[in-house]
Amino acid sequence: MLEIRDVSRHFGGLKAVDAVSTSVNQGELVGLIGPNGAGKTTLFNLISGFTPVTSGEIRYKGQTISGLKPFAIASLGLSRTFQNLRVFPNMTVFDNVSVGAVGAIGQSAFQAVFAGSKRANRISERTWEALERVNLADQANDLAANLAYGKRKYLEIGRALAMQPDLLILDEPAAGLNDSETADLSRFIEELHGEGLTIMLVEHDMTLVMRICQRVVVLASGQKIADAEPAIVRRDPQVLEAYLGVDE
Amino acid sequence: MSRELLMPRLSKVAMLIVLFGLLPALLAWLDKGYLYQVVTVTLIFALLAGSLHLITGVAGLLHLGHAAFYGIGAYIAALLGSDYGIGFTIGLPLAGLGAALIAFIVALPTMRLVSIYFAVATLGIGQMVHLVLQNWVEVTKGPNGVLLFSGIDLFGFTIDDAIGTYFVVAAIVSLSIWVIHRLSHSYYGNALRSLREDDQCADAIGINTTRLKMEVFTIASFFAGIAGALWAYTTQYVSPADFDFAESILILAMVVVGGLGSLPGAIIGAVLLILLPEVLRGVGDIRNIIVGGVMFASILFLPKGLFGEVSALNFVRRQLDSAWRDAPQKRKVGWK
Repeated sequence: MLEIRDVSRHFGGLKAVDAVSTSVNQGELVGLIGPNGAGKTTLFNLISGFTPVTSGEIRYKGQTISGLKPFAIASLGLSRTFQNLRVFPNMTVFDNVSVGAVGAIGQSAFQAVFAGSKRANRISERTWEALERVNLADQANDLAANLAYGKRKYLEIGRALAMQPDLLILDEPAAGLNDSETADLSRFIEELHGEGLTIMLVEHDMTLVMRICQRVVVLASGQKIADAEPAIVRRDPQVLEAYLGVDE
Repeated sequence: MSRELLMPRLSKVAMLIVLFGLLPALLAWLDKGYLYQVVTVTLIFALLAGSLHLITGVAGLLHLGHAAFYGIGAYIAALLGSDYGIGFTIGLPLAGLGAALIAFIVALPTMRLVSIYFAVATLGIGQMVHLVLQNWVEVTKGPNGVLLFSGIDLFGFTIDDAIGTYFVVAAIVSLSIWVIHRLSHSYYGNALRSLREDDQCADAIGINTTRLKMEVFTIASFFAGIAGALWAYTTQYVSPADFDFAESILILAMVVVGGLGSLPGAIIGAVLLILLPEVLRGVGDIRNIIVGGVMFASILFLPKGLFGEVSALNFVRRQLDSAWRDAPQKRKVGWK
């Protein structure tokens, strides 16, 4: 579904991502891990179009997406969340999620003014579905800024789900959550995956990744050092060295 | 009919009765030319504030040159009328389209700018247009301004009495504000709000941010042009001084005092900042200080505006029946 071929991103002399190749297959739940500064978020930004690639190619559903604008990539059904929790604070929970539905369904200025409510109803219904999926229907009319931190995480995921993406990429979804919240969130991610959604996630929390991901890609200093099942990656000497600094 | 359905209808009917019944009846009864003028100017500024509300309040782009597009509309209407004998029926839409066209051209390079850089760019545009109006004497007649002898000529009917003019202006302003209302109180409006909140994030969920910014800038400038044409046809004289930087700031003040992101607020702001100086005419020059004091106090005590965005959106959803009709458990969420 997603193919990353020999992708590099250099910032001046720094090779943030260096000739990385990997792929995500339909229906997979893939984790991307690595020590600080390994290039995980940069790779996510390359996939979602926020940072242009220096070289290499990224293909999604057989189409080259490297070089496309972020909104165009998102419209192909590839939705992302951000590391540092970004919701629209001065909009209600419902209105936040509705923007995801607008991104996928679309409403032009002309349609907003003159067309009947058919399209608006489709957006409303899809928004409500996504809200119920993330259990925020009761707070539909609250301002996003007034939600608890943990709920805002679900709001951000709900907004991405309202696009009805085929591939969801989550940038450190568990950052800032306590253990029980992390456990709830990992159950929720597994549920989404169980419903057929393909998911790729960057995570610091190794236990979460090792428990729920089917495959783990490990980056260190911009290079891919492992790409296998969690049980294998856990024993990989290169991975252990990158994480623990073991010198043999 | 249930109360749920009756109230919104009553609110809409009440607004129409005030605008097209009570207010003109009062004006006709008092029969003072000065009052007609004050009401017309208030309506024109309600449209200017409403259109700037789209750019600055909803999409969050600080625009310091709105008066430029107001001026372009006014000059197109005035020059078409005085030099080419083209009247209201064709002149009014052309004024709007002309302002929109220039806004589109200006928007092409400026829409990539963010925050303060965008504000400075629009400040520059405002000054540029003002200087062109003032100094391109062959076309704009320079500081002398343009006299327009023909009044409102609607599809061959000449409207030259004050009450007729009022009805035409009120109808055009209401229709324009209705369009602005649909744009800001819809999912299109939600997408615009997402630009203000976090445009990168909007980009990540499929919103074409650059295109939306261009659209909203062009559409709002169209309505500024319409407001300018109404100004030209009703005062029958335009001069560069009516469209300077101070005018842009006055419109911006209306939007901010009323409440950023709130369309009813922008209209209330326009009514307040036009009527207050007129009401205070009796107290002499000190009135400007009082007006400034009122603005200062309103921002100090009501930073979200006289009618803030959150309450305004709730008001529109409940009282004007703009919420999603099939919302579960009859909650007022979403847009129709």
